[in-house]
Amino acid sequence: MTPLSYTLVITGAPWSSQAPQSALAFARELLVAGQRIDRVFLYGEGVLLASALATPPSDEVNWPKQWAGFLADNAIPATVCIASALRRGIIDDTEQARYELPGNNLLEPFGIAGLGEWVEGNVKSDRVIYFHGSN
Amino acid sequence: MSTLIIVDQPPYGNWAGREALDMVFSLAAFDQPAALLFTGAGVNWLRKQQAPDAIGQRSVEKNLSAAPMFGVEEILADAASCERFGLGPEQLVSGVTLAENLQDVMNAHSNVAFAG
Repeated sequence: MTPLSYTLVITGAPWSSQAPQSALAFARELLVAGQRIDRVFLYGEGVLLASALATPPSDEVNWPKQWAGFLADNAIPATVCIASALRRGIIDDTEQARYELPGNNLLEPFGIAGLGEWVEGNVKSDRVIYFHGSN
Repeated sequence: MSTLIIVDQPPYGNWAGREALDMVFSLAAFDQPAALLFTGAGVNWLRKQQAPDAIGQRSVEKNLSAAPMFGVEEILADAASCERFGLGPEQLVSGVTLAENLQDVMNAHSNVAFAG
């Protein structure tokens, strides 16, 4: 079977929804099954997954760190929607400078960009799969 | 290939609907065919004379009226949801097409997405 390419969109936040966890389990299985992940795109509340400051108790899973490790290990590009991120206080050094903010907290290897990257996934990937929160 | 963005969230109370609208505008900005379908509590987006000043928000009516200008091909409303929320033709903003069969609407698009 020819492998398919996927864009994964996460709109649910960690701890207020299971979306990041479900998406990670799905993403791992995709790679096991020999499929390709073009990009992971965080949108809406999902951008909170890219906070470097999330610090759950030590006996709980740290979903941002789990995701960051998975992305780095497999060289998968991951984008955080800039409008969603700025609203919710997910900031990289460029936006920190632009808005003269007291700090930044974007977790590597996530990068901040516009919805254009989601549009590109929508056009190029064979499948676009959404992981939503509880709205 | 065309994308249908479905809004099933009310216009105020959370940002999912607004972020859905941003998605559809982005598709249109990149010349990708896109349409909007409002269903469930989402049909309240299409209500005339919204007055959200008291909650410190801007009316989504204005955002929505820009949709045709941005190149959004169609704005659809689920007829059954409109009835449930008491939205008759005279309460609906202009430029909305009522959809009786949502399955047909979804089948007409290659991608279908909820914003959240």
